[in-house]
Amino acid sequence: MIINALNGLVYGSLLFILASGLVLVYGLRRVVNFAHGAFYMLGAYIGYSVAIHAGFIPGIIAAAAVLIAVGVALDLVVFRKLADRDPLVTVLVTFGVLLVLEDFVRTVWGTGNYAIDPPALLSGVVQIAGAPFPIYRLFIVFASALMAGGMVIWLRYSRSGLWVRAASHSPVVAAMCGVRTNVLGPLVVGLGAAFAGIAGIVAAPFLSLNPSMGAEILVMSFVVSVVGGLGSFGGAFISAMILGQIQAFGVVYLPEIAALLPFLLMALVLVVRPQGILGNKV
Amino acid sequence: MTTSLLELRGVNAFYGSAHILQGVDLSVQSGERVAVVGRNGVGKTTIVNTLLGIAAMRGGSVHMRGESLLKLAGHTAATHGIAVVPQGRMILPNLSIEENLKLGASLRRPGEWTLDRIYGLFPMLAERRRSPGTALSGGQQQMLAIGRALMANPDLLILDEPSEGLAPVIVDELEKLLRDLTETGVAILLIEQHLRLVLDLAERFYVLSKGHVSETGLMKDVDRETLQARIMQ
Ligand SMILES: Nc1ncnc2c1ncn2[C@@H]1O[C@H](COP(=O)(O)OP(=O)(O)OP(=O)(O)O)[C@@H](O)[C@H]1O
Ligand SMILES: [Mg+2]
Repeated sequence: MIINALNGLVYGSLLFILASGLVLVYGLRRVVNFAHGAFYMLGAYIGYSVAIHAGFIPGIIAAAAVLIAVGVALDLVVFRKLADRDPLVTVLVTFGVLLVLEDFVRTVWGTGNYAIDPPALLSGVVQIAGAPFPIYRLFIVFASALMAGGMVIWLRYSRSGLWVRAASHSPVVAAMCGVRTNVLGPLVVGLGAAFAGIAGIVAAPFLSLNPSMGAEILVMSFVVSVVGGLGSFGGAFISAMILGQIQAFGVVYLPEIAALLPFLLMALVLVVRPQGILGNKV
Repeated sequence: MTTSLLELRGVNAFYGSAHILQGVDLSVQSGERVAVVGRNGVGKTTIVNTLLGIAAMRGGSVHMRGESLLKLAGHTAATHGIAVVPQGRMILPNLSIEENLKLGASLRRPGEWTLDRIYGLFPMLAERRRSPGTALSGGQQQMLAIGRALMANPDLLILDEPSEGLAPVIVDELEKLLRDLTETGVAILLIEQHLRLVLDLAERFYVLSKGHVSETGLMKDVDRETLQARIMQ
């Protein structure tokens, strides 16, 4: 029981990190970024390749660095160039980026599954309520909390965080006050992509690597964002935690319909409270 | 002739293909109090929106202290020392009152206006500094919008219909505040439909009609009736 809840917490933490990137980018650019799942996958593969040669920490750094560059490029080439177009056009282009990156991964790494061991320092188990639990999974929760906490502190207490929040609500007012809103785009999309990439490599020892991992987690992150309320961090946090638990308990107690439960939740929320758990604000 | 603080020459501005400003000439000197008056929909706000890059300028020029502002992006005006109190106030509801003020100081231009001074001027903002900006009444939101603009330590303060929805006593306070401000060398461009504040405050006026300046002059040369008549022409 406790172990199940802990597994739910681990999965929920990962979902929250991914969803927070989606929320951040949606808040500023008003675009649902389909490429986000591909960022997660790319982070996992790049991190994996670096980690098996140079160690786990360099793997995380490499994943973050590459994904920042990919995110910045996506903003400059796609989001900014298409800013005046119908948002649907931009969404379709991000979907195209997802497909291209998936093909790229298939070409470079093949279609097989990869698994990677946690770093030695974090391998092994602890006894929790009389049952063994991998230390590495606790690390995932810890790392996610650190990232989420860092992001919240940045948004709340730094000048650039204030600018991002201001521009997310009104680019016009932010710019009127002298904020170079064009610089915020690459910053936010780069950060969101880096978060996804780090989530990918951090999750790698827990989930396995394959070319469809991006699309799978993307769907779950969408469910989190929609249930939480597009653009709301608090809402994304609550719904990520709920979905983590649904996932963990679902596979144990309702294995036949476990895969459906997240969507049932989403349908329920959309019927009862269409704007999501915590409305529509960053 | 000395260079103006702000000078618009033959400005043509568009929303998409809608041609709104059709050759606007207008200037403001340092420390001067200038009013732009005109009926509903003649393009007063569009002057502001052109400076903010919201309406597209095609034809004409904008100079700030003699420097030509070629590409008007959203932040260009602020960078050149122009602060705006926009029509409708545009307080951000997802920021606290204090954060709305801090946003005004984004460029950290040096000057006498600090959070403490704004709070000294508008004590009710200090009392509720942690509340969302939109928790304030309309008049208080106007004070917040003015505070936000002052936090930029501007050389030119543009106010678009600041007296809209304000009680007469508050308008009097606003007039005194703006007058004191120009004593310190700040110039004011006041856009108004209601003539009361204009008559009390401005030294010079422009009448805008259908996208161009139809009349300009010194405030002391016109009385209320004449000005009203020219607006309605
Ligand atoms: N974003 C926009 N897109 C297209 N047309 C617009 C836009 N904003 C304003 N207009 C039009 O441009 C014209 C001038 O509008 P503007 O807001 O500058 O008038 P105004 O003089 O400020 O009026 P008011 O006294 O109502 O504030 C109006 O006909 C208006 O309908
Ligand atoms: Mg107007």
